[in-house]
Amino acid sequence: MNFAEHLKRSAVLGLAISILITLALSTWMFRAEESDLRLQHRQRLAVMHANALALAVANTNVEETGKRVSDIQKLDPRIESVIIVGGMQLVASTRAEDAAPRQLGREEKALFDLSDQIRTARETNRGEDVVRKKTVQIEEKTIGHIVVTVPYLSDGQFAGILQMKFNTTGPDVSGADIFSPAPDSYTLPALLFLAALLAGSLFRMSTERKVDFTKLLALGVFLLIALFFQQQRLERLERTVTQANQAIAANYLAAAQQYDRLGYLALPRDNSSVNLWDTDHYQRPLGLIAADGSVSAKTQAAYFDKRSGFLKRILGAIDLLGAAVLLMFLYGYAARTFAALKEHADAYTYVAPAMIGMLVLVFFPFAYGITLSFTDTTLFNEFLPFQDRLIGWANFKAILGDVNLYERTAGGIIWNYQNFYWTLLVTVAWTISNVTIGVTVGFLLAMALNTEGLRGKAIYRVLLILPWAIPNYITALVWRGMFHPQFGVINQVLQMFGMQPVAWFDGVFSSFFTGVATNGWLSFPFMMVVILGALQSIPKDMYEAAEVEGADRWQRLRYITLPLLRPTLIPAIVLSVVWTFNMFNIIFLVSGGEPGGANEILITKAYKIAFENYQYAYAAAYSTVIFMILLVYGIFQTRITKATESF
Amino acid sequence: MKRSQTFFAAGTLFIAGIFSAAQAAELVVWHAYRGAEKSAFEKVAKLYETKMASKGIKVTTLAIPYDAYADKISASVPRGKGPDVFIYAQDRLGGWIESGKTVEPIGFYMDDATRKQFLPGMLDAMTYKGTVYGLPLNYKSITLIYNKALVKKPPKTSTELVNLAKKLTNAESGRYGLVYWYTNFYFHAALMNAFGGHVFDKDGKLVLDSPETIASIKQMMKWYKQDGIMPTEPSEALVSSMFNEGKAAMVFNGPWFIGEISPSVDYGLAVLPVIDEAGKKPMRPWLTIEGAYVSASSKQKELAYDFAKFLTSEEAGLILALEGRQLHTNATIYKDKRVSGDVVLKAFHDQLSSAEPMPNRAEMTMMWSPATTAMNKVVKGNATPEAALKEASDAIQESINALRKGR
Repeated sequence: MNFAEHLKRSAVLGLAISILITLALSTWMFRAEESDLRLQHRQRLAVMHANALALAVANTNVEETGKRVSDIQKLDPRIESVIIVGGMQLVASTRAEDAAPRQLGREEKALFDLSDQIRTARETNRGEDVVRKKTVQIEEKTIGHIVVTVPYLSDGQFAGILQMKFNTTGPDVSGADIFSPAPDSYTLPALLFLAALLAGSLFRMSTERKVDFTKLLALGVFLLIALFFQQQRLERLERTVTQANQAIAANYLAAAQQYDRLGYLALPRDNSSVNLWDTDHYQRPLGLIAADGSVSAKTQAAYFDKRSGFLKRILGAIDLLGAAVLLMFLYGYAARTFAALKEHADAYTYVAPAMIGMLVLVFFPFAYGITLSFTDTTLFNEFLPFQDRLIGWANFKAILGDVNLYERTAGGIIWNYQNFYWTLLVTVAWTISNVTIGVTVGFLLAMALNTEGLRGKAIYRVLLILPWAIPNYITALVWRGMFHPQFGVINQVLQMFGMQPVAWFDGVFSSFFTGVATNGWLSFPFMMVVILGALQSIPKDMYEAAEVEGADRWQRLRYITLPLLRPTLIPAIVLSVVWTFNMFNIIFLVSGGEPGGANEILITKAYKIAFENYQYAYAAAYSTVIFMILLVYGIFQTRITKATESF
Repeated sequence: MKRSQTFFAAGTLFIAGIFSAAQAAELVVWHAYRGAEKSAFEKVAKLYETKMASKGIKVTTLAIPYDAYADKISASVPRGKGPDVFIYAQDRLGGWIESGKTVEPIGFYMDDATRKQFLPGMLDAMTYKGTVYGLPLNYKSITLIYNKALVKKPPKTSTELVNLAKKLTNAESGRYGLVYWYTNFYFHAALMNAFGGHVFDKDGKLVLDSPETIASIKQMMKWYKQDGIMPTEPSEALVSSMFNEGKAAMVFNGPWFIGEISPSVDYGLAVLPVIDEAGKKPMRPWLTIEGAYVSASSKQKELAYDFAKFLTSEEAGLILALEGRQLHTNATIYKDKRVSGDVVLKAFHDQLSSAEPMPNRAEMTMMWSPATTAMNKVVKGNATPEAALKEASDAIQESINALRKGR
């Protein structure tokens, strides 16, 4: 089989696989969306009935409450039971064995706690002027049997909870069977696919041209099939949403007429008043059904657009994925990958355990962090479903788009130390100065230690490695103590020489200096050891030859030592830059970012955002930005120096 | 080969059997105690075991290193693991409750006798938005600790304090009349409360830049700048080294400080002075109160509550106070001769009459960093108290708004 034949076969295979992947994933998404819709529909129905009853028993006495509850329960067979709890009291119950009103039993703690939880939720939402705590609790242990709990009021004050067991498996009032759609039609996709095969067989796929007709045809057919299928399902989904809403409206009207007849709640006759029954889980009216039971097409369309926004984005991503798979086949990457896998099967088997380990321990947390950075997760909302927390690029926009770096005032420029770019600037300055100091001091000491015939070399070497051997927490705290303005040894020495003591942590520069001094102390031994090793591996005869040729000391350093140090030094510097960039301990323990957060580096800042302010997602975005910076640095560094070649 | 396999299988079954049998009545308790506190706590746990011997209950206490403790709770309990009962101070309570599935509300179990057995204010620290989440075990607050060689009679009022401290201050030789970590907001809170300032009002609104708090900072600045009775750049280490060297006549510090005092210093304890400038109101330090919480993932919550209740009983309280040197929350133990005769325990108990629990709101963690920055700015003369507190409140409010997002 020649190459062109092979290519054509992989185009057909690619088209088939990519269509399969796209259709399967899209179907999966729609199924999930529909089951979500079904769930919401059931819950909305149950919440509506619970809200209605809670409104009906507000401001009534105990006997009247019991009567109303049992009246309503008897009228609607879907309401299996209702209980009302106020504090430690079971106020009313439709179950005969409960013998309400009575005290709550020992095993009914959950009810007491639930009541307390809903009370707190109401108070929190009011006290903080934002709605963030659910005041409606829903439990559905078996499908269709929903337990919904809502607060009930007395004189406008929280009096307790009303818990309703609602059965949604029975026949619906509206009589419509909303959720049994027609089976998916795959006829058109199949026809298109066959037509493409027919058309494709007439043409030869070119190996030379990057773009030719067969490739374009494959891509076009793929897009046509995918988009057609998705559009068809989206329309079906919209029909279902509309029908579901109409069913709720019919339910509402039927129930409202019952309450009206019994004289418990009057049915509003105008469509401008708010429907207080049909609410979300925070008891805010949904606004999809007016108080008189009428449904507006406009609000429904808007509701569907809002609802399907997330789904549409996911579908777009699935299309992209499918297209990518197709392109992989068209340009032969898939075939090559497969061939490599087949050829080196043994090798891949051996590395598989390590790859799984990496996947679980490195890539998964990494991917999780990146995903988190696209949400608005904080301590207060981490329990919400992922979809509700998704906010896209907002965190990155907030971090990178905030260019309010300084302010011009009459008294001069005031820097905004909380700004990302200030912190980045400090981090870069911090990294450069530390690495420079580490390399310079390390180099000088290594040169000194490498002197031939130096006595007590072993002792010096041990002494000089000590700063590295002591845990850096301890070193950091010792240095912090030494920089104390009144009692620290550094100021004491300054005063001994008649100088003024310095308040180290007050100034931006002096505070920066404390960190650099500490980290310089910590980082030179590593550089020294690396350079010393490299120096000792330089053959002596090179120096001798240079001496014979008449090279002086400087020339030997410049043309022999430094070039030969390069392959060792550059990886060490690359590593050291990354370490220093993320050197958390020293900043955190020595200056703590003083004064006023001016000396915070990116990583300590991310820590504070996550664990002092509990803004997990924002901190994740911050960390992602740090990663991107280091990634760009790494690529750049490798390109410039070809450092990897020396390994 | 065959036989060893059989043995192995039998052994596994046997171990599994023991494990499941023990699990049925085992209560796992986490704490972060060391030394005397740990042994006293374990003694109390043993005592509970003997009391419940008829029911065959075993109490397993596990000491977790303090710095890993809170994170370990946050990570394990919401996922259905971890202890039945755990002990921690109230400052993390709000965060755990807000994130949910960590601390079990126990108001339902509490009877009036239990509610009444505690010293005043203790249960408030365990109450979050009207719901009780834990039983208070012991409390810590700062008080006045003085060097008896330098101070004959501890000052009762701020005027007395300043007069006495001025006499004992000699900045040249590094001697100061009063040393405490005044830039740390935890220590400053005593003064803030004297003036009637708060971090959050009762509805949870941030009120850090209130006139009362500003006045309290001005009072602190008067001591530091005008009166010159306090050293610059205070820190925990500085306070203890100066006190031990006899260079600090009086310090404001808590029970943890007692162990750091060198044997050569003869110290006394007294209630924090009344602030004349605040209308003769006493300094009211913040109380940090350790509570015993029932874990939300516990399978035996009622038993766990019963154990927590036992920890707060008079019997357990006496052991924890006398052997563990803890300031227990049970009011009756302070009537015991051995407790009231103990200088340290008595002194901190006396301070309790003017003290208030540190807020347990989740938002408190956001306060520390900006508040410390504000304090440092004021002390270093970089900003007026008004401006510094305004800036700090704005920063805290911004963090709070980021957290409290509407749905």
